[in-house]
Amino acid sequence: MIERWALVSGLKGDLETYELIQRDLKKARGVTALFVLGDMIGPERNCDALLNRLQNPRRDELQPQCIYGWWEEQLLAEQGLRGEQKADALRLNQGEEVVSALLNAVDTYHLKWLSSLQFGFIELDCGLIHGSSADIGDNLTSETSPLILIDRLTRLDVNRLFTAHSTKQFHLELTGGGLDSQVKDLNGESQHKQKVSKQSIIGIGAGASYTIYDVGSDKTHFLTAVGQCNTPSKGFA
Amino acid sequence: MKHAVISCLHANLAAVKAVLNDIDQKGISDITCLGDLVGYGPQPNEVVDLVRELDIACCQGCWDEDIIEGLNACECSYPSQLAEKRGHLAHQWTAEQLTDINKDFLASLPTSIRRDRILFVHGSPNSQHEYLLPDMNAFAALERVEKAGADTLFCGHTHQPYVRDLKNGSIRVRLQNTSNHNAEEKEINLPMRKIVNAGSVGEPRHGSTNATYVIHDDVTGQVEIKEVVYDIGLTCQAIIDAGLPRIFAWRLSHGFEFAEQAEDASHVCER
Repeated sequence: MIERWALVSGLKGDLETYELIQRDLKKARGVTALFVLGDMIGPERNCDALLNRLQNPRRDELQPQCIYGWWEEQLLAEQGLRGEQKADALRLNQGEEVVSALLNAVDTYHLKWLSSLQFGFIELDCGLIHGSSADIGDNLTSETSPLILIDRLTRLDVNRLFTAHSTKQFHLELTGGGLDSQVKDLNGESQHKQKVSKQSIIGIGAGASYTIYDVGSDKTHFLTAVGQCNTPSKGFA
Repeated sequence: MKHAVISCLHANLAAVKAVLNDIDQKGISDITCLGDLVGYGPQPNEVVDLVRELDIACCQGCWDEDIIEGLNACECSYPSQLAEKRGHLAHQWTAEQLTDINKDFLASLPTSIRRDRILFVHGSPNSQHEYLLPDMNAFAALERVEKAGADTLFCGHTHQPYVRDLKNGSIRVRLQNTSNHNAEEKEINLPMRKIVNAGSVGEPRHGSTNATYVIHDDVTGQVEIKEVVYDIGLTCQAIIDAGLPRIFAWRLSHGFEFAEQAEDASHVCER
């Protein structure tokens, strides 16, 4: 049986885009799971309709499995539900107005659900996280040093890391190489050659750009949901 | 010029004096300390006073941070829950003993010291609490040094002295994205880097009871790991006299944490 995962992120309250993706997924063969890797909310529009839909999916839709992302963390921090700091990163980078807009974009009714979301999923030998295990805001791209990518894979002890924060779509595979390590201590010297394991980092995109991952063949397909109307949705159902 | 690097003094005055004497006998006056001046041992004020008096350049260790910031700042993984309870006792006792002036001194310490392309930290450039063990994934170890913009990284925290050379590295990658139909392949050559762990002066855990430190020659790049015999009995008696857990004296006299290894090895500190 074909097993394929759909990976989505960065909807930022855009219910219309989510519905377009769900429409595409109904036509796609073998998609058995839908993972939403955070940034379901954002300051640009009211996010309540999308959050309602994610928590109460329609019977004929794939049931979304959600984790929190950078924007959720900022909201939860500002509301005193995550960590000891407020939304300092957001405030510093985008100002007080955006913090206020984010607070206004999400009804407090949703905070309990948002605060219950996990940091990431481990499925098979894959890690699914908004940024990385180092930081939810870790901006991994195809230009990121492979040393950093290996570090992020090693931290999670996975062979594939699906990441979303950069909003980019890419599949970077580590195919070979090695590193000599010579250790001297009070017992003498030892040498070891560490080989690069075949591992991958996959950027899944954001918004209408999403990814299908074929578990059996280890292939990724980068897709974009296109609607009849390209004007930004207000996000109200 | 040669300089000495010491770490993890852990309030063990006899060990600190023996190591400083050994360094002095070698004609070395440039000393860098990688933190953990206090914790476990019975003479926190005496050790901090000595470091201050000699004006030794010093990073803040996890115990130093812990004493200042409160126990929640500590993310160290104890090897067992019993070890964690004993650690809490040592923390409370040390916090009560330390003078305000010595607490202020520990609070003032930087988390890293940089000299050109050499970086000195307690645990890793990421955190005072991260262990850079000698068998850590070589690529991840190289990433720590490279990210810090250093050629050589001096660290402590593990209490096991070692010198690790990372060289002849390369990584091949294949990239597929939305703009290229054919996957792009490339090979990246990695730089040569060195990690030096100074071990521990006051709480050795390398399999011997001797204090350890390292000497670095910044002209040749050579690093020597040094072991120094000290009067362990003096410190053990002081631990007992202070009312600290007797096992701290027992393990100092054995050189390894046998008791903790025998308990719940799977426990990871939740903080």
